[in-house]
Amino acid sequence: MAILTILFYILIFPGLLFCVAVGLLFAGIDRKLVARMQGRVGPPVTQPLYDFFKLIGKETIIPAAANKKVFLAAPVVGLVSLVTIALFIPIKLFMPFNGMMDVVVILYLLCIPSLCLIVGGAASGSPFAGVGISREMVAIIAYELPLAIILLTAGKLAGLGEVTFSFADIELYQAYFGPNLLHWSMLPAAVAMLLVIPCEVGAHPFDIAEAETEICEGPLCEYSGRPLAVFKLNTALKTFIMPALFTALFLGGMGTGMLWLDVLIFLAECVAVMFVSMTLPHAICARLKVEQVFKFYWTIVTGLAICSFVLVWLGV
Amino acid sequence: MFNKLIKKSAGKSPWLFHVNAGSCNGCDIEIVACLTPRYDAERLGFKLAGTPRHADIIVVSGPVTSQTKERVLRVLAQAPEPKVVVAIGSCPQSCNVFKGSYSVEGPLKKITHVDVEVCGCAPKPEAIMAGLVEATKILREKRGES
Amino acid sequence: MMQHFPVLAIFALFLGAFVSSLIRNKTARNGVVVLSVLTSFGLLCALVKPVMLEGEIISYWLGGWKPVADYAIGIGLEVDALSLFFGLVVGLAVIVSALYSFRYLEYDDAQSKYYTLYLILGGGVLGLVLSGDLFNIYVMVEIMTFAAVALTAYRNFMPGALEAAFKYLVIGSIGSTCILVGTAMLYLQYHTLNLAQLSALISGTAMPSSILAFGLLIVGFACKAFLVPYHPIAADAHGTAPSSISVIISGVLTKTGVYGIIRVCYCVFRAMDQSAVQVFLVLLGTISMFVCVTMALAQHDFKRLLAFHSISQIGYVITAIGLSTTFGLASGLYHAMNHTIFKGLLFLCAGCVLHQTGTTKLDELGGLSKRMPKTCTLFLIGAASISGIPPFNGFASKWLIYQAVYQRASETGNLFYVFVVLVALVTSVLTLASFVKVAQSVFFGQLPEKLKDTQEAPAAMRAPMWIFGGLCILTGLFPAVVVNYFTGPAAAAALNAGSYIDAMMGAGYAGRLSTVPVTVPALQINTLGFYDPITWIVLLLTVLLAFTIVSLMGGRARGARIQGEAIDPKYDTFFGGEAGEYSQVGGADLFWGFKHNLRHYFSFMHGAHSGVVNDYALWGITAVAVTVAYMFLFL
Repeated sequence: MAILTILFYILIFPGLLFCVAVGLLFAGIDRKLVARMQGRVGPPVTQPLYDFFKLIGKETIIPAAANKKVFLAAPVVGLVSLVTIALFIPIKLFMPFNGMMDVVVILYLLCIPSLCLIVGGAASGSPFAGVGISREMVAIIAYELPLAIILLTAGKLAGLGEVTFSFADIELYQAYFGPNLLHWSMLPAAVAMLLVIPCEVGAHPFDIAEAETEICEGPLCEYSGRPLAVFKLNTALKTFIMPALFTALFLGGMGTGMLWLDVLIFLAECVAVMFVSMTLPHAICARLKVEQVFKFYWTIVTGLAICSFVLVWLGV
Repeated sequence: MFNKLIKKSAGKSPWLFHVNAGSCNGCDIEIVACLTPRYDAERLGFKLAGTPRHADIIVVSGPVTSQTKERVLRVLAQAPEPKVVVAIGSCPQSCNVFKGSYSVEGPLKKITHVDVEVCGCAPKPEAIMAGLVEATKILREKRGES
Repeated sequence: MMQHFPVLAIFALFLGAFVSSLIRNKTARNGVVVLSVLTSFGLLCALVKPVMLEGEIISYWLGGWKPVADYAIGIGLEVDALSLFFGLVVGLAVIVSALYSFRYLEYDDAQSKYYTLYLILGGGVLGLVLSGDLFNIYVMVEIMTFAAVALTAYRNFMPGALEAAFKYLVIGSIGSTCILVGTAMLYLQYHTLNLAQLSALISGTAMPSSILAFGLLIVGFACKAFLVPYHPIAADAHGTAPSSISVIISGVLTKTGVYGIIRVCYCVFRAMDQSAVQVFLVLLGTISMFVCVTMALAQHDFKRLLAFHSISQIGYVITAIGLSTTFGLASGLYHAMNHTIFKGLLFLCAGCVLHQTGTTKLDELGGLSKRMPKTCTLFLIGAASISGIPPFNGFASKWLIYQAVYQRASETGNLFYVFVVLVALVTSVLTLASFVKVAQSVFFGQLPEKLKDTQEAPAAMRAPMWIFGGLCILTGLFPAVVVNYFTGPAAAAALNAGSYIDAMMGAGYAGRLSTVPVTVPALQINTLGFYDPITWIVLLLTVLLAFTIVSLMGGRARGARIQGEAIDPKYDTFFGGEAGEYSQVGGADLFWGFKHNLRHYFSFMHGAHSGVVNDYALWGITAVAVTVAYMFLFL
C-alpha cells in the first residue's frame, strides 16, 4: 500500500501527470494572456497541448552531423529531472518527499534541464545551436548568482538565528510567521526572484538562447518531431515549476487543511506569479541582447537580492 | 493511445517557415500583417518558426530566382513530413513582372509540388489567411491518410 | 607486523623504480611496474581496517631508532587516518595512471626512464604523506618535485616542454626553499624534526621564529599545491606533460600541498583556533577558486583548461579546510578525493583525444563524439562530476562544503563567509560553463575534415578510465558512507593532535609537555539540509519508466528515425538554405556575453599572466613576503 501511495505521488500527483497537465495549461494561459494584452484574440488555452501532439505526430529527422544517442536522450533526461524537481517543491505544507532534497540541491537540479538543452543542441552539430548554447550558458551564469542569494536568504530567515537549507523549515517558518512576501526585508528578494523566473524558463524578453529570428531557435534548430515535442514540454513544465518555486519560497505557509483547496490556492498563486513575472514582460518588452541580460542580472537583480540578504542577516 | 488526439492536433497547430525566393518584400510584409492584432493568425494556432525542422507549412514568396532555387529546394527537403507548401503572391505562380528575366527560374510549380496558391500582388492578409486555413485542411488530410 | 606496512609500501615503489630500469623486456618491465604499484596499494589497503575504522595510529622508527630521553632522533613514519586517506588516494591514482600509460606511451621512446621516474614520483609522494618527520617531508618534496620536473619535460619534442619544466623548476624551488627554511627555523628553536614532538613543544609558544616558520611552511606547501599566485606554472606543466603524468601532478602532487597545509596547521602548530589563520586559508582558497576558474574559461587548450580547473578545485578544498570545523575538514577531504578521481578521468580523456588526434587545441577539434563515443561517455561523467551535477561525486562534496561554510558564517556572524559561499557557487557555475565549452569544442559540434578518420581510443586505455568513472558514480551515490568511513575518521585524526603525539612519543607525552591542553573535538556533523541521491535516482528511474511506457503505448512515430547521409539535403544541417559547410563555433568565443561584461578583469588577467618566469617568480616571492608579514601582524 505504501508503495502504491508513493507511486501515486510520483506518477499522478504531484508527479508526472499533474505536472505535465498543469505545465501545458500554464503555457496556454500565458499565451492567451499575452494575446489579450496585445489586443488579440489569441490561441485557445489548449494550444500547447495541440502543439505537443502535433509534434508527436511529425517525422523525426536526425541530421547526419548529429550524435544520435545524445541527440535523442537529452530531452528525455531533461523532462524526467524536471518532474523529480516538481516532487520536491512543497505545496503549502504538503511535502510527500520531505527530507530528501534541500534548496541547494534544487538549485543544482534546475541546471540539469538547461544543461540537457545545451548538450542536445551541441550534439546536433548545427552552428546555430553552437551560438545558442553559448547564450544559454551565459544566461545560466547570469541568473544563478541572484537565485543562489535568494535561496540563502530564505534559508537564513527560516533558520531563526541558525541557518537552514531545508525546504520544510522554510515552509514551517512561513506557517508560523506568515508568508515571506509580507516580511518587508524579503521584498527585494521577491522582486529579484520574479526577475529570475523568465530567464530560467527561457521566456521573453530573456529568450536569448532560442531567439527564433536571429539564430533559428538556437539549440533547438535541428530538432523536429518527438524530441522537439519533449523539449517544448520541458519549457511548459518550467513555466509551472518556477512560479511554484516562488510560491513555495515567498507565499507558503499554513494551508487550509484540505489538500484540494490548498492545491487550488497554490495554483491560483502560481498563475498570479506567472502573470507578473512572465506574461507582463513578454507583452511589453523586446528581447534583450546577450551582454545586456548578463549585466542586468549581475547588477540590478543581484543588487536586489543582496539588499534583502543583508537586511535579513542584520535581523532587521 | 493518443492517435485520436494526434490526428485532431495535426491541423490545429500549423507552424510556418517563410522562404523568400527573390520576393520584392511586399508579400513578406503582408504575411507579417497576418500576425498583427487585426488579423491575429495565432488564434488558429499559427506561429512563425525559425527553422524548417519545426515547420508544417513552408510559405514561399517571390519568383524563384536562379540564386534561390537551390536554397528553396534544400529548405523544402529539410522540413519534416507531413508538410504543405504554400505559394504567396503572384510571383511564385507566374513570375509576375519578373517573367522572362534571365535570372528567374520560376514559377515555383516547375521545381516542386505546390499545395496552395494565394494570388495577388501583394495578396491581402485575408486572402493569405484563407490560403493558410486551406493548408491546414491539407495537413489534416495528410495526417489522416498515413 | 602491521607497523612495517607503511615503509614497505613506500619501499615497493622505490624498489620498482630501480628494478624496472634494469629490465629490457617491455612486458616484464610493465609487469614489475604493475607489481610494485599493486603491492604498495595492497599494503595500504591492509591498513584500512585498523587505522580508518578502529582509529589506531601506526608509528614506525626507521632502523629502530626510538626516542631517547623523550627526544626523537631517528626518522619516524606515522600513519594516522589522515595520512592513510591521502596514501590511498595517491595509491589509486598511481595505479590507474600506470595502467593507462602502458598503451598511451606506445609511440614514445625512453620508456624505461619514464617508469623509473614515475615510480620515484609515486614513492616520493607516498613517503611524504606517510612520514612523521619534517625533514623527511622536505626530502620527499624534493624527490617528487624533481621527478615531476623531469617528467614534465619527458616529451621534449613538444614545443614548450622544456620551458614548462624550467618554469616548474624555478617556481618549485621557491616552495621547496620555503619548506627547507621553515624546517630549519623549527629545528633551531626546538631541536627536533619529529612532527609529533614538534606539535607537543610548539603548542602555546608563539615565538617569532616559529611564526616565521609557520608562514614559510604554509607558503611552501601552497606552492606545491599550485595555489594562487603559483598557478601559472601548473598550466604550462600540465599542457606539455604526458596525460598520465598530468593525472599525477594534478591529482596527487597538489594533494601533498593540501596534506602539508593540514598537517602543519592542524597538527604541528595547532594554529587553527586562530581566526587569522582561518581567514587566511579561506581567503587563499577563495581567490584560487575564482581566479583559476576564470583563467580556465579563457583557455584554448584542453589540458591547460583542466590544469586551471584543478587549482580551482583545490581552492574549494583549502577553503573547506580553513573553516577549522570537523564538518569543513571532512567535506574538504571528500572534495580532495573526488578531485583526484574526476580530474584524473578528465586528464585521461584529454590523453585519449591527444593519442587519437594528435592535438588538444580546442579550436582544431570538434564532433569527436561520433568517432569516439565511448571516450565521450567517460568525458561526460567526468565533466558532470567536476561541474557538480547530481548525482555525481563532485556535487556531493561541493554541497557539503557550501553547508560547512554557510554554517560557519552563521556561527561567526561574519559576512565574509557568506561571500565565500557565493564565490563558491559562482565558481561552480563557471566550471560548468567551461566544460560546456570543452564539450562543444571537442566532442560535439562539427567534425573537421582532417579528423574524419579518427578511431576510438583503444580499450587498454579506456579500461583504467572506467575505474575512475565508476568511482565518480559510486562515491557520488553514497556520500554518507564516504564521510563516515573515510573522510570523517581522517578529519578526526587531523583534529586529534593529542593521540598523534602520544602514538609516536609514548603515552602521556602530550599531557606532560603541552602547555595547552589537548582537546578532542566533537565529531558531530550536522547538515543543514538533505541530499539523498539514491532516492532521487529511484524517482528518476520510475518517472523514466513511466515515460517510456507512455511513449511506447502512444501513437506510432511517423517516419522512421533515420539518420541519413549528409549528401541527402534532408539530413544536412540547416544552414539558412545553404549547403552545410564547416563552421564550428570554437571554444575561444563561446561565452562572449560573459567575457564582454568582464572585459576589464579579463584583460588585466591576460596582461598579468605574461608567461615570463621572472614575473611568476616575483609573484611567488611577493606571496612569501605577504604571508610572513600577515602571520607576524595577526599572530
